[in-house]
Amino acid sequence: MFKWVGIGLGLLIFAVVIGLSVIAGGLRGAYGMVRYALPHMHRGTLRVGDDAPDASLLTLDGSSRFHIRERTGARPLVIVFGSYT
Amino acid sequence: MVQIYKDYRDHADFLTVYVREAHPTDEWQMKSNVKEDVCYAQPKTLEQRVEIANDFVKRFNYPTQFGIDDMSNAANDAYAAWPERVYIIDERGRIAYRGGMGPFNYHPEEARAWLAARYGEVKREASAAVPDKKK
Repeated sequence: MFKWVGIGLGLLIFAVVIGLSVIAGGLRGAYGMVRYALPHMHRGTLRVGDDAPDASLLTLDGSSRFHIRERTGARPLVIVFGSYT
Repeated sequence: MVQIYKDYRDHADFLTVYVREAHPTDEWQMKSNVKEDVCYAQPKTLEQRVEIANDFVKRFNYPTQFGIDDMSNAANDAYAAWPERVYIIDERGRIAYRGGMGPFNYHPEEARAWLAARYGEVKREASAAVPDKKK
């Protein structure tokens, strides 16, 4: 019994590793995805119709701050989140 | 996204928010980052975030308003933004469009569709100088 459970778990882990490797472009990528990406990926709870959260942001020149809420009201605001890499 | 900005900037405001790096050299670096010479370690200070954000804007002559998330990642956490995501906030301050989490569910054309439904299809001349890197 335990032997088959062990074999099943082994096969499952193997399949997960292979699947992640295919998605991430190799074993190293799979490790990177599990180690660095998955902990930061969240579906979030916001839904259409919810009040948009506010947050303080730094300006590009680093000299001052503004709030997302300050940029809303007059027209729709398209917010794009991302990074360089 | 740049083309959407150019097409609809007369109707909507656009804000790009720089959040923590997705593929820094000290974490999950991609081969494409090396090929494109986009190699940065994960910023440990706000000053480093400012520096990288400025590099990005200069390299691509990126046209939208820009904001940089705190090291506490407050904006990122509030919007579940990482690694990339698009939202539209309406005039009442409510979420009008919530995009999927990148990279697999990042579809800026859905934001375009939202804008087109409200303001009609707009298509200005495409810019060859600014690739659609900032997703």
